[in-house]
Amino acid sequence: MKHWKIGVMTVAALAGLSLTACSNGSKNADSKDITMWVHFSNTDPEGKALAKNIKDFNKSNKHGYHATVKYIPRSGSGGGYEDKLNAAVNSGSLPDVLTLDGPNTAAYANAKIIQPVGQYITKKDDILPTIKAQGTYKGKLYAVGYSESSIGFYYNKKMFKAAGISDSELPTLSKPWTWDQFNAICKKLHDKYKTPILNMSLNDHSEMSLYSLAPFIWSAGGDITNKAGTKAVGYFNSKETASAVKFIQDLVKNKYTTVSPKDKGFETGKYAMLMTGTWEVQTLKTQYKNLDWGVLPYPVSPKTKKLVSPTGSWQYAMSSQAKNKKAAGALVNYLAGTKASYRTDMANTVLPARKSTSKLMLKQADEATKFFIKQNQQSGHARPVIVNYPQITRTFAETLQDATYKPNTDVQSLLNKQAKVMQKYLDQKN
Amino acid sequence: MNQKGWHKQVGWLYVLPALLLLLTFLIIPFCMSVNYSFTDYNMLTPGLKKFVGLQNYIQTLTDPVFIKSLRNILQFVVFIIPIQLGMALGLALIVNKKRPGNMFFKISFFAPNVVSLTVTAVLWMYIVNPDQGLLNNLLGLIHISPQPLLTSPKQAMFVIIGISAWQGAGYQMLIFLAGLQDIPHSLYEAAELDGANAWQRFRHITMPSLRPTTMMIMTTTLIAALNLMTQAMIMTQGGPDNATMTPIYYIYRTGFTDRQLGLASAMSVIYGIVIIFFTIIQRKVEGRAQKDD
Repeated sequence: MKHWKIGVMTVAALAGLSLTACSNGSKNADSKDITMWVHFSNTDPEGKALAKNIKDFNKSNKHGYHATVKYIPRSGSGGGYEDKLNAAVNSGSLPDVLTLDGPNTAAYANAKIIQPVGQYITKKDDILPTIKAQGTYKGKLYAVGYSESSIGFYYNKKMFKAAGISDSELPTLSKPWTWDQFNAICKKLHDKYKTPILNMSLNDHSEMSLYSLAPFIWSAGGDITNKAGTKAVGYFNSKETASAVKFIQDLVKNKYTTVSPKDKGFETGKYAMLMTGTWEVQTLKTQYKNLDWGVLPYPVSPKTKKLVSPTGSWQYAMSSQAKNKKAAGALVNYLAGTKASYRTDMANTVLPARKSTSKLMLKQADEATKFFIKQNQQSGHARPVIVNYPQITRTFAETLQDATYKPNTDVQSLLNKQAKVMQKYLDQKN
Repeated sequence: MNQKGWHKQVGWLYVLPALLLLLTFLIIPFCMSVNYSFTDYNMLTPGLKKFVGLQNYIQTLTDPVFIKSLRNILQFVVFIIPIQLGMALGLALIVNKKRPGNMFFKISFFAPNVVSLTVTAVLWMYIVNPDQGLLNNLLGLIHISPQPLLTSPKQAMFVIIGISAWQGAGYQMLIFLAGLQDIPHSLYEAAELDGANAWQRFRHITMPSLRPTTMMIMTTTLIAALNLMTQAMIMTQGGPDNATMTPIYYIYRTGFTDRQLGLASAMSVIYGIVIIFFTIIQRKVEGRAQKDD
């Protein structure tokens, strides 16, 4: 029997060891050490910029705080970082400061993974309203974005010219095309090229669907849910929402766009227009130097003529398990501040989240980035802050998929059905 | 301790690593799943989970998407087994005969199996793109109008079936090939002397001799088919209109995207029972076939 006893003792010892390894050490409210987790690699431009920012923070702060960063790159499917966070929630080993994507604010705040950080943030008026909206849950600021994003209509100047569209016809931020004008332009291009002329990434049923297509709904005066994020029926199936979905559906029906776009079709001159994000600027500048292109704003509803563009990106937040709140708050404030966010945004070629950073960037940015910075400030709209956001964004994507894959679908009845599905998710308790 | 008792203990020691692994990665997680399936466990609020009785089971069994995913996987299994087995056997017969360049064909047929499922799914998406994909271009050459393929709820699952069969057939070809090479040549010679033609030799010698191999391949194909997820996840995200939604993908999505681990656990338990049901049927079929022999 001795063997069994030894075995049991070994297992017990190993279990004890592993438990010790999992524990996070004692919590000390006066601790000057700040731990931080980020979702990117230390070899990325963003990671290199953060390393410099952390070095500056450690050197310049007057309280002797010392921050250390753990880089946990996201995997292709977006896992990796989130998996690690989820595991840390379960084991109670969250860091003091973490990064999180905009749509996760409500779920993380509701689950008490993060805590309000507003009292530690200075110069709040300098932060773009969309960034504040993205990080606010139940009236409290939980997370602060350090960059912004947007979408525009990239166009091929040569193809436009060949189709007889003059520069004077092109829209501007102050005078965007209405949907009717946009349809007329699409018709001209389609008559000339006889194939779909616009890639709207309608084959992408990820977050891109809501992010890129919801601005049409907001422009029409419709919405996905009410402001409180508690009701979808009456909002997602409103006449205004239906008019926007119908506009997108008609683009497919008229064969101006396609549900199965060819990859790199715009870059190789197959499509005259591409609706995509700010990230495309770098691709075009570095890999398609011969392409003559520009960026146009979203077309607007003919009824409201209101220009709306999407916004949102990653943010910094203080975890609910932060040992020293003041220290963690100071780090979030520093990293989301003008100097640090300017360094990150420039390195990562993304849009600024602060007015002061915008001013600095406008001096150096190229024409396309300047356009996006202005579009962001003039017409940016934050995505809804909802605990069950993953279900809402997926239902949105499925709705648009149904409307565009079967272009004869009656939009109003589809929205009536899908609004109820969304409502079910909104009613779920968390 | 006497000799017999010691031997018994050593025996347990030998199986201990396997038992520990089974316990850690199968039995304990399964028991945890059953436990979670009766709670409202949300991934982000593990401390707040509470007992909800059969609520998750009722929700799963009345969820039209889950029911549709079961129907989809049944459709997948019904088509993939004969198609993949037929392809594998056909390819094995091709490479079984000694002819120049045989090795090239063997490698070519086996190659898709070496490449990751994700990579092949992405590559096939170019081929089956309805607008400018290779497949529709080829169909155009024989005057067939372009097909919607992955964008059609009616065709999407068949595209996935085709791609999965293409990917999996190479590996099973090798197993069939081993089975074919085990058949004594004397049987064929005797049959030839008796005047049996090629079809008769195949029907009465090859097929019965390959029965154990076929059964083994059927079992592995069934297990792999019931776990279908990657192709649907990469190529269609379960759409359009949930036409390619599979139970495993739906469980994954409910648990890890929607963070509803309690509900996902109930789905896993129900799907586990479905798989056990399939396995029992297969064992019975297998048993009957062995009796016939």
